[in-house]
Amino acid sequence: MIVTLNWLKEFIDISIDYPVLAEKFNLMSAEVSRLEHFVNAHGLVIGEVKTCEKHPDAAKLHLCQVDVGDKTLQIICGAPNVMSQQKVIVALEGAELPNGFTIKATKIRGVFSYGMICSLDELGIDHKYHQEDGIHVLSSEAPVGEDPLKYLALDDVIMELDLTPNRADLMSHLGVAFDLHALAGGEMHLPDIQVSEISEKNPINVFTETNGCPSYYARVVKNVSVRESPQWIKSRLIACGIRPINNVVDISNYVMLELGQPLHLFDYEKIDSKQIVVRQAKKGEKLVTLDQKERKLIEEDLVITNGKRAIALAGVMGGKDTEVSLNTTMVLIESATFDPIRIRKTSKRLDLRSESSIRFERGLDPNRTKMAIDRAAMMLESICGGETLKGVNFFDTHLLKDREVFLSLDKLSHMTGRHYLAEEVNMVFEKLNFKFNESDGIYRVHVPSRRPDIRTDQDLVEEIVRIHGYRNIPTTFPKTMTVGKLSQSQIQKRALKEILLSQGLDETITYSLVSENDATLFDFDSKPIIKVLNPLTEDRMVLRHSLLPSLIRVLSYNLARKCDDIRIFEMGSGYFTDGEKPLLAALVSATNSSSHWQHPSEKVNFFTLKGLVEAVLAQLAISHVRFERLETTKALFHPGISAAIIVEEKRIGYVGRLHPELEHSHSLNETYVFELDLSQILDRNIPKKTMALISKYPAISRDLALLVDQKHSAQSLIEAIREKASPNLREVKVFDVYTDDKLGQEKKSIAFNLVFQNEAKTLETEEVDKEIDQILDHLSESVQASIRKV
Amino acid sequence: MIQQLEAILEEAKAKIRQASDLNELGDLKALYLGKKSAFSAAMQDMRMMSESERPLFGQRINAIKAELSTLLEQAKTQIEKAVIEQKLQSEAVDITLPGKPIRLGATHLVTQIIEEIENLFVGMGYTIEEGPEVELDKYNFEMLNLPKDHPARDMQDSFYITEETLLRTHTSPVQVRAMLANHNQRPFKIICPGKVYRNDDEDKTHSHQFSQIEALVVDENTSLSDLKGTLLLLARTLFGEERQIRMRPSFFPFTEPSVEVDISCHRCNGAGCSLCKGTGWIEILGAGMVNNAVLSMAGYDPEKYQGFAFGVGVERVAILRHAVDDIRQFFVNDMRFNRQFR
Repeated sequence: MIVTLNWLKEFIDISIDYPVLAEKFNLMSAEVSRLEHFVNAHGLVIGEVKTCEKHPDAAKLHLCQVDVGDKTLQIICGAPNVMSQQKVIVALEGAELPNGFTIKATKIRGVFSYGMICSLDELGIDHKYHQEDGIHVLSSEAPVGEDPLKYLALDDVIMELDLTPNRADLMSHLGVAFDLHALAGGEMHLPDIQVSEISEKNPINVFTETNGCPSYYARVVKNVSVRESPQWIKSRLIACGIRPINNVVDISNYVMLELGQPLHLFDYEKIDSKQIVVRQAKKGEKLVTLDQKERKLIEEDLVITNGKRAIALAGVMGGKDTEVSLNTTMVLIESATFDPIRIRKTSKRLDLRSESSIRFERGLDPNRTKMAIDRAAMMLESICGGETLKGVNFFDTHLLKDREVFLSLDKLSHMTGRHYLAEEVNMVFEKLNFKFNESDGIYRVHVPSRRPDIRTDQDLVEEIVRIHGYRNIPTTFPKTMTVGKLSQSQIQKRALKEILLSQGLDETITYSLVSENDATLFDFDSKPIIKVLNPLTEDRMVLRHSLLPSLIRVLSYNLARKCDDIRIFEMGSGYFTDGEKPLLAALVSATNSSSHWQHPSEKVNFFTLKGLVEAVLAQLAISHVRFERLETTKALFHPGISAAIIVEEKRIGYVGRLHPELEHSHSLNETYVFELDLSQILDRNIPKKTMALISKYPAISRDLALLVDQKHSAQSLIEAIREKASPNLREVKVFDVYTDDKLGQEKKSIAFNLVFQNEAKTLETEEVDKEIDQILDHLSESVQASIRKV
Repeated sequence: MIQQLEAILEEAKAKIRQASDLNELGDLKALYLGKKSAFSAAMQDMRMMSESERPLFGQRINAIKAELSTLLEQAKTQIEKAVIEQKLQSEAVDITLPGKPIRLGATHLVTQIIEEIENLFVGMGYTIEEGPEVELDKYNFEMLNLPKDHPARDMQDSFYITEETLLRTHTSPVQVRAMLANHNQRPFKIICPGKVYRNDDEDKTHSHQFSQIEALVVDENTSLSDLKGTLLLLARTLFGEERQIRMRPSFFPFTEPSVEVDISCHRCNGAGCSLCKGTGWIEILGAGMVNNAVLSMAGYDPEKYQGFAFGVGVERVAILRHAVDDIRQFFVNDMRFNRQFR
């Protein structure tokens, strides 16, 4: 909503500087997003073109002698429409124009020019509002030597308000004036509206067949002559961002901006009936609206009809066939209120949001409906030469009484944390022009109909606090003691991130919405997707099941920018039809160009990522993890360098190298990833540890280098070692794996370090030797292992 | 005889002085103090001397031997010292060469700010509540006093999944869920961080996905002044101790009164600059007292309880505090960006 200062001044005396006023409004009423001169120009004067000749040396330029009151200036003008005897806007030497342009005396093709004749565009008035080409020609009565901005009613200050939906009352100059009065004082002048009705009776009868139209007022004005509006109306409409059309249409917009009530004006003779009936549209009913589009209506839409057919889409747009045209002489003024929800639905469905529909949606002052129709009739009389027929025909089901809202001083203090005195509260209500009475600290407040947003004591609290000033609210803290802490899963999520950060992985945050392909690429179970009905783009249409496709995209992005040292992780949700799952995914690029003079960068492989997974699971106190070969038909992982991660017989994630084909198609180097579904494991209870005794007796360490078939996994060999071992065997570690043709085909050497220890005694060498022999016997039996001779 | 020995002593002294390594010194020791040394021979010869000469001679030889022994000891210490000295010198490194890089990952800037705010509020007795991002219209809007077709729904364009479910547009539904779960109406203080989604065209300041932290306090005596004090502390924690805040009237259907909160500009300290567009103030968050209608719908008696709530956009805080030029940077994950905030 844009308001102009001069317009406001018709309703309220303003004695303070407008920047101060705007700041007060900003702090007490609503956000002021723009405050500026309507036309920000200096050094303009009305001039009269005395002579206009061709420039001696330029075919398209004119050499003009322009009387600017105290002197005559030679000005070169390029506009094709300049002629002698015209009154024009002259920018004098030194003048500043809104585009930052300063006028200087200049020589153009050998001839001096001492100023500029201006177009409206050059005054900063957008072309869409006037559609004039060339210079602006003033009326012949324009006073030479005077200020053209004042003459054109452009000498105004505009204030753009960023309004919230509750303050429908501020969508009019009168409404803003009421609030200005509350916050800055100044005497108010309510509009004096007088209609001079003639004796001929208003022939229109109005009816409703719907509950969607609580009130409808109709007046008829005849003998109007449709033409351009006077300049002051046009200037004010333009200042408020509305394009002038003709005097009749402009009046309806003017009244809306002034009083907040949208109006619609019909060409009376085209209505073709003596009645107006408001009803719901019929299924399949059609109406060609003012914009010449045929609209298919549904039953929820409200229409204005002539008793037979729809002539307007109520509150949204008029019908084409009853539009006011240059030939119109008799108009019907409609001033009505409609069900906000239906107006909202219709305007949204047809994509026809307008200044009118927004006002209907947000709610009108039912006491302005009659006021506005009279104001419009009055202006049609004075500006279009119209004559108003006798009587307003209407129906009105609004209760036109003030709403009563109660507020106790105690509640006010309790809610605000500030002790307000009765005098302070009285003062606010007086400033707001709210009638009230108070007894025993209880206020009974009569809220005027212009403030439909005030319904509860909380609403009154807001009025008092804002007008008295938010700056007067003290600063305190909540008094009740509560315990603040992170939940188990929140603590664990932070701990997991710390582990990955400590290992040099950077955290990423990527979009939850991805393309359909990315959403399910790493979903091995192909679970059903969740799709957005109204996506921004196809790339952001589906909620992801896995974070990995996003991490791969981050890698590609960075590789393309020569940044190849990529180790990243993300913690975020996977979205499934049965709920959201917390996921943790990581990606590490194996080759990178980062180098140090002494320490070559560590080679990344499957076991780097497996180590990360093990560290993460250890943090979550999960000791029994199995890594199983991945059985899948999807070519996502390298079949030999990947594993499913199994905890308690459930697959909770994957780790491995990306499939070389996938790496290739995304132009990636060797890349390793893992992803874990944390949903079952994040908030498990971790028992507090109790100390285990540290044995006083020495441990004995033995190394075993075994020669076995390739097919035996390290895991199975460790299990085989443990199978026949006594409790003295404390630890089995793999310390070397080696393959060579010399060992024999399909053979490998794998070396284990075994640690033996007893709580109660020092182990004898012979004892351990015996146990080793037993283990070896068992190994040679079960996996045909032999001791490798080094 | 004695002069001869004195000469040998002088010769020995000179040689010890010149000795440059421990081997040489060992040789000298053997030469002058060993069994075959001139001094040992002289001791043998002493037997031939007269009784009167003998003690004097013996004393002198012992003194010479002691002197040489001391000298040898000193020379040895010196050489050892020199050897160590030399060794240390040879081991010297170019201390200006770079150290072994310890690679630490960078926490995403948005996470850093979320954790910073979480830590502040946990310290003040708040717990952290989380909730689903795919949310029911009922919790995202209706129970927040935003019935269907309310004009205020325009303030938050949504991504719908079905007519009744959508991607949450704010983390307020978590507050509703927390209140509903809190059947026994005990006072509580929570913050709700999380991802939210708006169906807005994207530009430097708008992203369809961003993070928000909302706070809710419900108690018998929670007041607007408590909100103001809490927000002042938050502003100072995030933007420095000198910050001031101001409240301006605003509107959210779920709070009444509703306010926009500005902080005094942290770049110009309120004097006016390009960041604050010359006003000295920067809009940072929305807040208010919980609307009675919201309390009632969530099962709280508004006659007994009142509450405050606020919501802050995490990326906005990051943009303002760290001079980030485009909100989309947070989601691109250009590592040259992410790693700046390690």
